[in-house]
Amino acid sequence: MASNFAYESKKLGVMYFAVAVALLGAQILFGLVAGIQFVYPSFLFEVLDFNVARMVHINALVVWLLYAMIGSVYYLLPDETGIDTVGIGLGKLGFYILTAAVTVVVLVYILIQTGPANHTTLWLIQEGREYIEAPRWADIGIVVVVLVFLSNVYLTAMKGERTGILTVLMADLLALAGLYLAGMFYTENISIDQYWWWWVIHLWVEATWEVFVAAIIGWALIKTIGANRQIVEMWLWIEVAMLFGSGILGIGHHYFWIGTPEYWWEIGALFSALEPVPLVAMFVHVMYDWGKEAGIKKGAGEKPMMNNTPAFMWFVGSAFGNFIGAGVWGFFHTLPQMNIYTHGSQFTAAHGHLAFFGAFAMAMIAMFYMAVQGSSGKKDLKMTFNTKMGFILLCLGVVGMAVALTIAGYGQVMVERAQMGATWEGYFVSQYSHWFKQAMGWRLAMGVVTLVGFLYIVYDLLTINKAKINTEQGE
Amino acid sequence: MFEPFTDIVPSFFGMINQGPMTLTLFLHSVIIAPMFWIYAQEKKRLQEEK
Amino acid sequence: MSKKVSVWSDNRFWQRSAAWVTGFAAMLLIWLTFDTMGQIAMGTDEDLTQGVTKRVPGPTVINYKITYEMSDKRGHEVPVIGEKENFFGRDDYSDEEARALLNLGKLGVQAKNCMNCHTLLGNGAYYAPDLTKAWLDPMWDGYIARLGKDSKEEAIAEFLQNPSENPSHERMMPNLGITETEAKGIVAFLKHMSSIDTNGFPRNFGKIQGAIHGK
Repeated sequence: MASNFAYESKKLGVMYFAVAVALLGAQILFGLVAGIQFVYPSFLFEVLDFNVARMVHINALVVWLLYAMIGSVYYLLPDETGIDTVGIGLGKLGFYILTAAVTVVVLVYILIQTGPANHTTLWLIQEGREYIEAPRWADIGIVVVVLVFLSNVYLTAMKGERTGILTVLMADLLALAGLYLAGMFYTENISIDQYWWWWVIHLWVEATWEVFVAAIIGWALIKTIGANRQIVEMWLWIEVAMLFGSGILGIGHHYFWIGTPEYWWEIGALFSALEPVPLVAMFVHVMYDWGKEAGIKKGAGEKPMMNNTPAFMWFVGSAFGNFIGAGVWGFFHTLPQMNIYTHGSQFTAAHGHLAFFGAFAMAMIAMFYMAVQGSSGKKDLKMTFNTKMGFILLCLGVVGMAVALTIAGYGQVMVERAQMGATWEGYFVSQYSHWFKQAMGWRLAMGVVTLVGFLYIVYDLLTINKAKINTEQGE
Repeated sequence: MFEPFTDIVPSFFGMINQGPMTLTLFLHSVIIAPMFWIYAQEKKRLQEEK
Repeated sequence: MSKKVSVWSDNRFWQRSAAWVTGFAAMLLIWLTFDTMGQIAMGTDEDLTQGVTKRVPGPTVINYKITYEMSDKRGHEVPVIGEKENFFGRDDYSDEEARALLNLGKLGVQAKNCMNCHTLLGNGAYYAPDLTKAWLDPMWDGYIARLGKDSKEEAIAEFLQNPSENPSHERMMPNLGITETEAKGIVAFLKHMSSIDTNGFPRNFGKIQGAIHGK
C-alpha cells in the first residue's frame, strides 16, 4: 500500500496494524479449530488438542489487540503532539524484535506444546496460566519492547504539545505496562497465583484498556467529525473517573471463590455493578457529539463534517458493543448470587467473546480504517459494499456466537451446577444435553460467519482506497 | 449492634462488612466525599479567575 | 460578590476528580491486598495439628481426610479437615516432603497446561470439568475398580498417566506425557486445592443425585 505519511510514527503504526490483522486471522482460525472440537471431539485429537488451539486463540486475541493499541498510539502521536515521535528508529527495532518473539512463541506453542513439570518448561515453552501463557523469556522481551514504546511516547509528549487526551494516555499506558509485571512470577499457592493473575487481566480489560479506548474514541471524534476538543476532553476525564472508580475495586468480582475473604463479595459486587455506567456515558458521548456537531454545521448552512464513514461506523458500533458486551453481559453474572452458579461456565465464555469484541476489537478495526485513509492522504473516505458486508457479518457472527454460548451457559448452569452440584458426571450430563449440543453447533456456524466477515474486512482494507466511490469526483 | 464476624480470619474490612451494603456505602462515601471539597476549591478558583 | 461559574463544565474539576478517585481506589485496593494476602497465605503443619482453620491450609493437609460440608455459621459449604488418612500409603509426610509434592504438582499443572481445558477454582477453560473438588469427585469410585487400584490417589495418578486409554466420555483427555512422579505431585495438588475455603464454590458439590435430568 503506497504510503502518504509525512511522519515515520504513522508508518510504524501501520506496521503494527498489519501484524494485528494477521493475528486476528490466526485468532479466528484457531477459534474455529476449538469450536469444531466442541462438536466433533476427535478432531485433531492428540495432534492439536483443545488446550493448544485455545491457547493460541486467546494469545492471538491479546497480542493482536495490544499490537493494535500500540499502533494506534504511534499513529495518533504526531497529530496530538505536532512532531514526529522521538526515538522512532528504536521503536521500529522494537517492533521487529517483538514480532520475531511472538512468532517463535506461537511456533513453540503449536509444535512443542508442553514439557516436563519444571521451571525450564515455564521459562522456554509455556507457563500454563490463561492469557499469559507466554514463556518467561518472552515476558522479559515484551517488557523491554514496551519500555521502548513508553519512552517514545513520553519523550515525544514532553518535547511537543501535550493534550488532555495524551495526558490520559500517558498515565494509562504506564499503568497498563506495569500491570504485566504482576503476572511474572511463580507461586505454589493457587489462591495467591490467581489473586495476582487478575491484576493483569481485570485491571487490563476492565480498567486500563477501557480508559485507552475512551481516549482513542475522543481523538477520533475530533478527527472525523470535528468535535470540540475541550468538550471531548471533559467527557474523557469524567469517563476516566467512572471507569477507574468502578473498575479498580471491581476487581473484587474475581475474588468471590478463589479462597479470598468474604468481604470481596460485597466490594466486588457493588463496585463492578457500576462498571456499565461509564460505558453508557461513552455511547451517549459519541451519539451526542455526533448530533451536536452535525447540528452546528447545518445551522450554519454547511455540510456536517464526516471524513471517514467506515471508521466512524465502527467507532459508533464499538460504543454500543462495549456497553452490551462488557456492560450488560458482564452485569448478568457479576453478582455473587448468580456467579456462584455461572462461575467457570459457557456463560463466562459468552461474556468474554462479546465483551472483547464490543469493547476493543471494534474500536481497533475502526483505527485500521483511519490508517487506511491516512495512508492515501484522502480528505474523505467513504464506505463500500465490502465495508458494510464486513461490518454486518463480523458483528452478526460474534453476536451469534455470544447468544449461542449464553444458551449453552444457561443449560450448563441449570443442569451441571444447580441440579447436579458441579461434579464430573454433572458436567458431562450438561455437555451432552440437547440444548447445549445445539448451541455449540450454532456457535460453530456463527464462527464461520465471523471468518467470512473478517475476510471481507481484510479485502476492504486493501482495496477501499482504490474503490470507485473513493476515486470518482477527482480525488 | 454489630453482627458477629463469621469469616475465618478477622480484619477491618470484615468488621465493617456488617450486612448488605454496609461496606459499599462506607467505601463509596469515602470516595465521593472529598469530591465536594474539590468542587468547592475549583468554584473558588474560577470565581477569582474571571 | 459571586458571579455565575459552572464547575461542572470545567475540565480541571473533572481532571482533579478523576485523579482523586483513581488514586484513592488504588490505595484501597493495595490496602485490601495486604489484608487478603495475610488471609490466603498457606497455613502451617502446626495449624493442622492444633485444629486452627486457615483459608489455604499448609501442604501437610495431604495427610488428612478432607470433606466438604454445610456450615450453618457461614451459610454455605466449607472444607472440613478430619482425621489422618493414608496418601499413597503414608500419613506422615513431613512439611518439606509435602511441600515438594505440592510444588511438583503446581509446576505440573502449569507445564501441562491444564487450565486451557479445565478450570481451577472456576478459572480456566470450559472444555473439561472444574477441578476444585476433583479430589472429592464420586467418579473416582468407579475408576478405582476400573483401573484395579487400591486407593483413590493411585487411581487418579494412573488416569493422569494414561487418560486417553481410560476415557469417561466421547470427549477425551489427551495424553500429556505426565510421568509417575509428576502424577503423584498433581494428585497432591488436587487434594490440597480441595481443602481451600472457596466461600462455598461449587455449590452443593456432589450432594444432589440429579433427580431431574436435563435432556
